[in-house]
Amino acid sequence: MSAVTSSRRAGARAQWTRVAGRILLYAALVAIALVYIYPFLVQVSTSFKTEADAANDPISLIPQTWTIAAYRSLFQNSAYPTWFLNSVIVTVFVTIGRVFFSSLAGYALARLHFRGRGFVFAGIVAVMAVPGVVLLIPKFLVINQLGMYNSYVGMILPLMVDAGSVFIMKGFFESIPVSVEEQARVDGAGAFRIFWSIVLPMARPALITILILSIQGSWNELAHFIVSTSDPNLMTLTKGVASLAAGTLGSGTQYPLKLGAALIMTIPIAVVFFVFQRKIMNSSEGAVKE
Amino acid sequence: MSALARPATAPAPPRRRSSGIRRGEGLAGWLFTLPVIILLGVFLLVPVLMALWVSFSDWNGNGSPLSPSVDFVGLRNYADLTTGNGLAERNFGLSLRNNLWYVLLVVPLQTVLSLLLAVLVSRRLLRGRGFFRTAYYFPSVTSSVAITVLWLFLFSNSGAVNAILGRLGANGPDWFNEPTGLWAVIAGWFGMTQPAAWLNQGGFLEVTPWEWLQGPSIAMFAYVLMAVFTTSGTFMLIFMAAIQNIDPALDEAGMIDGASGWERFRQITLPQLRPALFTVLTLGLIGCWQVFDQIYTGTQGAPGKTTLTPAYLSYQASFGSQQWGDGAAIAFILFVIIVAFTLFQRWVLRDRPVSRRRIRAYQPKAPQGGAAS
Amino acid sequence: MTRHTARGLVAVGALAAVAALTLAGCGSGFSSGSPSSSSGTGLTSSKKPLTIMIGSSGDAETTAVKDAVAGWSKKSGVSASVVVATDLQQQLSQGFAASAPPDLFYLSSDIMAGFADNGSLKAYGDLLKNKADFYPSLVKNFTYKNRFYCAPKDFSTLQLVIDTDLWKKAGLTDADIPTTWDQLAADAKKLTSGKTKGLVFNGEYARLGVFMAQAGGRLVSADGTRAEADSSQNAAALDYVKKQLAAGTFAYAKDVGAGWGGEAFGKQTAAMTIEGNWITGAMSADFPKVKYKVVELPAGPAGKGTLQFTTCWGMAAKSPNQKAALDLVEYLTSADQQLAFSKAFGPMPSVQSAAAQWKSDNAALTPFLAGAAYAQGVPTNAGASDVVNDFNSQLATLKSSDPATILTSVQKNLETVVKK
Repeated sequence: MSAVTSSRRAGARAQWTRVAGRILLYAALVAIALVYIYPFLVQVSTSFKTEADAANDPISLIPQTWTIAAYRSLFQNSAYPTWFLNSVIVTVFVTIGRVFFSSLAGYALARLHFRGRGFVFAGIVAVMAVPGVVLLIPKFLVINQLGMYNSYVGMILPLMVDAGSVFIMKGFFESIPVSVEEQARVDGAGAFRIFWSIVLPMARPALITILILSIQGSWNELAHFIVSTSDPNLMTLTKGVASLAAGTLGSGTQYPLKLGAALIMTIPIAVVFFVFQRKIMNSSEGAVKE
Repeated sequence: MSALARPATAPAPPRRRSSGIRRGEGLAGWLFTLPVIILLGVFLLVPVLMALWVSFSDWNGNGSPLSPSVDFVGLRNYADLTTGNGLAERNFGLSLRNNLWYVLLVVPLQTVLSLLLAVLVSRRLLRGRGFFRTAYYFPSVTSSVAITVLWLFLFSNSGAVNAILGRLGANGPDWFNEPTGLWAVIAGWFGMTQPAAWLNQGGFLEVTPWEWLQGPSIAMFAYVLMAVFTTSGTFMLIFMAAIQNIDPALDEAGMIDGASGWERFRQITLPQLRPALFTVLTLGLIGCWQVFDQIYTGTQGAPGKTTLTPAYLSYQASFGSQQWGDGAAIAFILFVIIVAFTLFQRWVLRDRPVSRRRIRAYQPKAPQGGAAS
Repeated sequence: MTRHTARGLVAVGALAAVAALTLAGCGSGFSSGSPSSSSGTGLTSSKKPLTIMIGSSGDAETTAVKDAVAGWSKKSGVSASVVVATDLQQQLSQGFAASAPPDLFYLSSDIMAGFADNGSLKAYGDLLKNKADFYPSLVKNFTYKNRFYCAPKDFSTLQLVIDTDLWKKAGLTDADIPTTWDQLAADAKKLTSGKTKGLVFNGEYARLGVFMAQAGGRLVSADGTRAEADSSQNAAALDYVKKQLAAGTFAYAKDVGAGWGGEAFGKQTAAMTIEGNWITGAMSADFPKVKYKVVELPAGPAGKGTLQFTTCWGMAAKSPNQKAALDLVEYLTSADQQLAFSKAFGPMPSVQSAAAQWKSDNAALTPFLAGAAYAQGVPTNAGASDVVNDFNSQLATLKSSDPATILTSVQKNLETVVKK
């Protein structure tokens, strides 16, 4: 009898440590999550505060007086709407270009046999290795020489191709069974027909991945816009908000205004993120058992 | 076990493409890849070559760098940066120092934190996994400009961080305006305020040993925290993917053998994460050496040139001071540094053969006279 | 290497070579096609609208310039737009390198030499109708290698600005207006209380230089041929400032959370500040409630001293419409227009004919004009601005560094610059 009691007690103790462990785990996770979320909550609340309120009470999440003065100033005294529009234009065209060209090239590298294929692929991989910083000055020089400086073309064209996207598409196309294409080829379809009507619709998951990465990459791009434009009418959100941070709109620290500007800039990306959440996280995770 | 029948594969395509159903394939292949080749060539390959030329020339920003009036000056720009004994060398040395400490702090911190988060969030039977994943990954999605603006606010002298520290009884520094090195500050807590005299003499790249050893400035440290905040989410996902792929049977075998949780992690889980670890470290190194956006938006090298990075210096030297040759040379030296670090990290993490002492435990024992087996 | 890969190599290599050659062709086309108008008096002329880039001190200045340019546009029929730069020097550099510079731009005396050296500027000074009206010292500032490059648009000096309310609250009277360094330190001590510091200014040479001038030192000799940074006078000045910073009576603007001295002054975290003429425009626009008075800076061991800043209207050598630009410059530097600018944001006119009117219009600003008699200019050698930037970054840590070490490094850097 005592053996059973003691083992039951041991069982109860083990149960207890498990529960305590669980509580600790959740506590840690929640605490860390708070640290990750709090800055954004402060950002939202500060953008609705007055400047004095923001300076006096930087941690509170509820403004003393709710005011949209910062947003009003942002839209009236700066070219924020223009920046937003430019960012949208660039993102849309770059994304269309990237999805189209990367899938074309990825398919060709995966399924079409042509002379020099290996060399082209090696070249793309090599190009992926070049760090972006090395390209800052050179891209400026080339854009200049080609007469694309201060134009939408100069902003969009160089971003339209991304070695990483080609890599992703190639990997995906290689995983599609060859039999599907072989059948279509026997039926007499040309390479482009096969690509466009048969293989591409099957590539939905990879296309969405590239779509999201491209939207994120071009919306958040800064260095390229610095070197390709100096015209204030072509300013994008990243460059514009960076100039606000450096302090153009008069003297003074103006935190509500700057944070409001950064907030609006983050909203479209956040929306894309939440809508495509599963896709983004699953593409690098595999199936997750919820 | 009998050899499995070879699965039917597609027949090897015929070598000659000029006839048959694969007739237009060669042409199609080239046409499909042509846009990518042209754009990558024009906007990646040619620029690199052009910049290489500029780094060996004396182009001063007027007209085309390929015009006949621009001369070849050999390694003069590179010499200026490494042995020139002037402002160019000192700026370069300071930028290297700043970025080196940044890398040394960010890469370990972000790797450890993202691994920790991945392990915690990957535990079976966790409720709200999606919520935690989203919370930790969200900062990685935002633009570095937006996060820098937010950070400038949070870490300003009267900002949220100092207010919280104040509530906890500590006096926070004026983060983005404080040029003192981190280690110098910590040494100051222990009463060591004056460096030994020899530390202020000489130095590498016009930067004294004391300046090298001081560590990142408080301002740079704020950037370190920002980097860990924004990249831990991405790397957490990479680790989570790798953890998902680990066969749980191995872990259970360890449990049966009586290994503790920590031992199981160290001996079973961690070695299986080596490829992911390699990816994370490589991406981390490459990313950390290219810090530019944050500096451009935030402090532009101030205070006291302690947040100057080689990438930003390259930009500033060319677009600000019109020293295009120096700027291009800095970019290429940076390229070499990145490659060197990546190769070094690859060498450190290479698959090494098991040591002889260890392998003896697994080798069949030679029969010994009189020993009972 | 298989035959296929070899052919692939050749194909891609050919592509790259063609691309490079095309670009080289484009490149030389660009350089030979652009008009070489920096030599000779030929001015370009076209119907293109003008772009004017300025580095503004605040809304007052931006509005004033925009209004003036709009007025000229209406009169002359040439459209022109004003762009406010966030980082003037960088945006000019990028514009010149991209062959897309603004037609007219603010060009301060310390960065002119670099742009003149690489052929970006048009030397139009001799073509000005009102050339004789400019102050000779200002003309000298903008003459490089014997060519008068650009018309000075105004000039300012630095003086001491005092918050009269805080002054009275601390029990100080007119008799306490500092005339020596010791008096300045004592006044600052009395004015320092709570969040307010006695004297706040930007931690850079462009402000600390006044103390160096008052001690009798300078960075570069008056004729620009010798570096004089490591003199004992400069060290004495930096020692004085360091002592006051440590005592908490002086402070850098960023240490009190302000972007510049004027902002700290307006928010009343500073009872006094060292600023130039532009303080008037900023105060009336952003901090109208603060009452202030401008007095001359105290004298140091070598007497009175201050710094003088002057900017000119730079004209791009690649501008397609230089004739119209010249006309605009003559309009903007006319006595009437300069007096209007003065009323908006305070600087002193660069033409002698406006002096008398300015004195009577701006009685409160006479200390600035008085400063012109003993003010030092900033170094104008090519490359000096980089050395000054480095000096500024070292001044950021003045509280904990040794002035002599800082000055020695500045001296070393300046010596390479003056040799050019």
